[in-house]
Amino acid sequence: MVKIAKEKLPVLLQAWAAGAMVFVPQEREGTRVFLPWNGEGKLALGEENTLEPPKDLFFPRTETMYRYKVQGQDAEITEVPSFEDKMILVGVRSCDARSFALMDDVFLTKGYVDEFYRRRRENTRVVALACTEAAPTCFCTAFGIDPGRAEGVDVQMRPLDDGYLLEAVTEAGQELLNQAGSLLEEAGKASPPGAALPSLQVDVGGVTEKLQQMFEHPYWTEVSRKCLGCGACTYLCPTCHCFDIQSENLGNTGYKFRCWDSCMFSEYTRMAGGHNPRPSKKERLRNRFLHKLQYFPERYGKFACVGCGRCLDRCPVNVDITRVIREVKEVTL
Amino acid sequence: MAVEARVNPLVPMEGRIVKIIEETPDVKTFHVTTEKGKPFTPMPGQLAMLSLFEVGEAMFSITSQGPEHLEIAIKRVGMLTEALHEAEPGQTVGIRGPYGNGFPLDMFYGKDILFIAGGIGLAPVRSLINYCIEHREKFGHLWIIYGARSPADLCFKQDLFENWPRVENCRVDVTVDKGDEGWKGHEGFVPAFVEKLNPSPEGKVAVTCGPPIMIKFVLQSLEKLGFRDDQIVTTLEMRMKCGIGKCGRCNLGSRYVCLDGPVFTLAQLKEMPNEY
Amino acid sequence: MSRIQERMRARARELLAQGTVQMVIGWEKGTFWYLSPPVFITDAGECDRLVWDEFCANNLAKYLLDYKHTEDKIALFVKGCDARGVVRLLQDNQIEREKVYLIGIKCPGMKDGRLADALGEERRHEVPLVAKCRFCTHPEPVIFDELLGEDEGAAARDAAAAAEGRFAEVEKVEAMSPDERYTFWTSAYDRCLRCYACRNVCPACNCRECIFDRSQSGWCGKQMNRGENMFFAITRAMHVAGRCIECGECERVCPEGIPIMTLNKKIIKDLNELFGEYEAGIDLEDLPPLGRYKLDDPDEFH
Repeated sequence: MVKIAKEKLPVLLQAWAAGAMVFVPQEREGTRVFLPWNGEGKLALGEENTLEPPKDLFFPRTETMYRYKVQGQDAEITEVPSFEDKMILVGVRSCDARSFALMDDVFLTKGYVDEFYRRRRENTRVVALACTEAAPTCFCTAFGIDPGRAEGVDVQMRPLDDGYLLEAVTEAGQELLNQAGSLLEEAGKASPPGAALPSLQVDVGGVTEKLQQMFEHPYWTEVSRKCLGCGACTYLCPTCHCFDIQSENLGNTGYKFRCWDSCMFSEYTRMAGGHNPRPSKKERLRNRFLHKLQYFPERYGKFACVGCGRCLDRCPVNVDITRVIREVKEVTL
Repeated sequence: MAVEARVNPLVPMEGRIVKIIEETPDVKTFHVTTEKGKPFTPMPGQLAMLSLFEVGEAMFSITSQGPEHLEIAIKRVGMLTEALHEAEPGQTVGIRGPYGNGFPLDMFYGKDILFIAGGIGLAPVRSLINYCIEHREKFGHLWIIYGARSPADLCFKQDLFENWPRVENCRVDVTVDKGDEGWKGHEGFVPAFVEKLNPSPEGKVAVTCGPPIMIKFVLQSLEKLGFRDDQIVTTLEMRMKCGIGKCGRCNLGSRYVCLDGPVFTLAQLKEMPNEY
Repeated sequence: MSRIQERMRARARELLAQGTVQMVIGWEKGTFWYLSPPVFITDAGECDRLVWDEFCANNLAKYLLDYKHTEDKIALFVKGCDARGVVRLLQDNQIEREKVYLIGIKCPGMKDGRLADALGEERRHEVPLVAKCRFCTHPEPVIFDELLGEDEGAAARDAAAAAEGRFAEVEKVEAMSPDERYTFWTSAYDRCLRCYACRNVCPACNCRECIFDRSQSGWCGKQMNRGENMFFAITRAMHVAGRCIECGECERVCPEGIPIMTLNKKIIKDLNELFGEYEAGIDLEDLPPLGRYKLDDPDEFH
């Protein structure tokens, strides 16, 4: 096992940045977000997870899909150059690492591969960071996630008092460590602090089966009353993947783009003729919870929640998915 | 480094509208082809994403196909369809597909088929009717029951009154909600017309498509006539964007209408959330 | 506060039991000690869920729109800012006065839940006021059917006294050079997620259908980028110009911490200078400066 001293980490990031875009949590206006490392930012690895999940690095908020030119009845399209940059994400927590696997299920399986996502995902290495402290809103262990050890990553980092233990999990991860060269030292007997234990607990056992019988239950009216119908929960959720496709015209040229969309919005399902199968916030909030806890498990065999707690942290009215799970399990059918 | 050549399913082909048929005051059928010929070869009931680049893109059912073109019947309801209705032959469009499951043909082989459609709902059903006619020996008796608001609103008149009635072992019954001076045919709503015609469920599969309210009552009528849920097939419509089960919005429970639909049996529908 | 909470529960119980109202909207205890989110009670037996503590920051007025097409009469607990929100909705002809029953509470100012979390429960008494309450000019409800909590007057007046700095943030931005100002606003709105929490919580944002829910109308694009984000921000700020009740909810609910109230207050400050002092949502009869028409208007109409 090898380790790196805390003060040498920026040097390592700099070394990695020579051959790739390195994204790492840094301070921005009092919060923490994944930002490209340019050697000057303030690293934010010691604290709680980032405000926004890193999903936008694979699935940007707005992404150009192709360009077009229109001339009278004629039109032609040009594909955008494929994404060739290499990326290294450093400081990814176990919850977000799980979310990558869930996004992979959506974008890479079931008959169609989303090429925009695939290019970015395949060009990316992930360096995870073990959590030694849980925020009050964290509940990743409810989904069998180990905050001390992330799934599907290339390198696992664990914080020490004066640095980080680094363990290569994949060959690509080993290559990253090889690049570090003399910055690393033998860890010897250094033992990292134990993994964080979230205080917020919820037992998700049986919730999918219960929800399968609850589509018409009055519970959804009650739970949705306070919902503002905003999209904060969906945009901050590491597993929400909905998008819209629209055009941007610039004279006789333009481009088709996709951008994040939210099932909490009325426009999301409204059809051209005006009919909306999810006309109010009750149907929309229900869809969001069922998607996380019933539909996704039915389709992909996994919960689409990773217990990162971002929705709970930022919801203006404290719509709390852990409370919903507990209440769902208790309501009488 | 060599870039792996993959087809990006979200990027359309450049197609061209080569012919436009005015079906009714608000429905037109567009024949679309590409420089390389037919964009793709769909199965009956499958869908295509059609776009005018500077306006928008939407999913439509493919109503028929020829050796070199696809036929897509479109009702004027929103911005994109409005713009398409103003287009003339020669217009370039984007087209991608085919999407969706299409009709479960295995279910139909060797059976008599009852087609019940209303308004523009005949568009997807027509792809199946034409398929059955092309492969006439594989199917039993074909019975087409169709209705529209008025005689002017009847789609595919040439098929209804000339082509299909001439097909061997095929019957066509047409109704309108309200006739005009020249109308000699039946007047009344589709569900009541179906009950009046009283088709027997024996050895039959029923396919129905139309406005949601019509479907709702046709299903009740079929139930009355003794059709079982697994003998009834219908198609759903939802707002769609990607067509490939990624963008999220067309889900009914854990199924995506763009991928797992749009065709479902009534038995399947009854197991899914009633949210369409 | 606990005395008010007792009266709150008792009144809610009476109103529901007597059938005076069909629903009571107040606050309940949330997931953590520093959260008191909205609660909707229809059963007199559930009134003990209601709480009144220093974290009842949510403005409840906007929820009345969810029930405007029902026959129900609704009791709403109103702090100063909730009451101004109700006046906003009444002035905009969004709700009927006789369908709401307003129970006023003199507000001592609410505490900042996020900072409370950082301090910890043992230092609960040290938690500072939430930003939206720091410059509150009307902690006492301006409209009500009955009033609870005569005993909170002193704290309320203290809060009002602090209102001196109401435009302090605006003045900071005004003092910037144009380039600095541009950087200030772009760096703020580059973060905007377009989640529309600000719009959805705002009592002045009460259009039946918002232009930003019609992204294909051609007016506004759905791309999340500087241009579109700014278009959203400016359009919304201008649309609530003269109608913003300064409840500060937009800024409080923003998941990205964008200083939305600085923008709103800049417009309020300008309106005050151009049309004379005006505070929205105070007096039902006193219409917003941009929402009235005078024959003797000194400016020409073009």
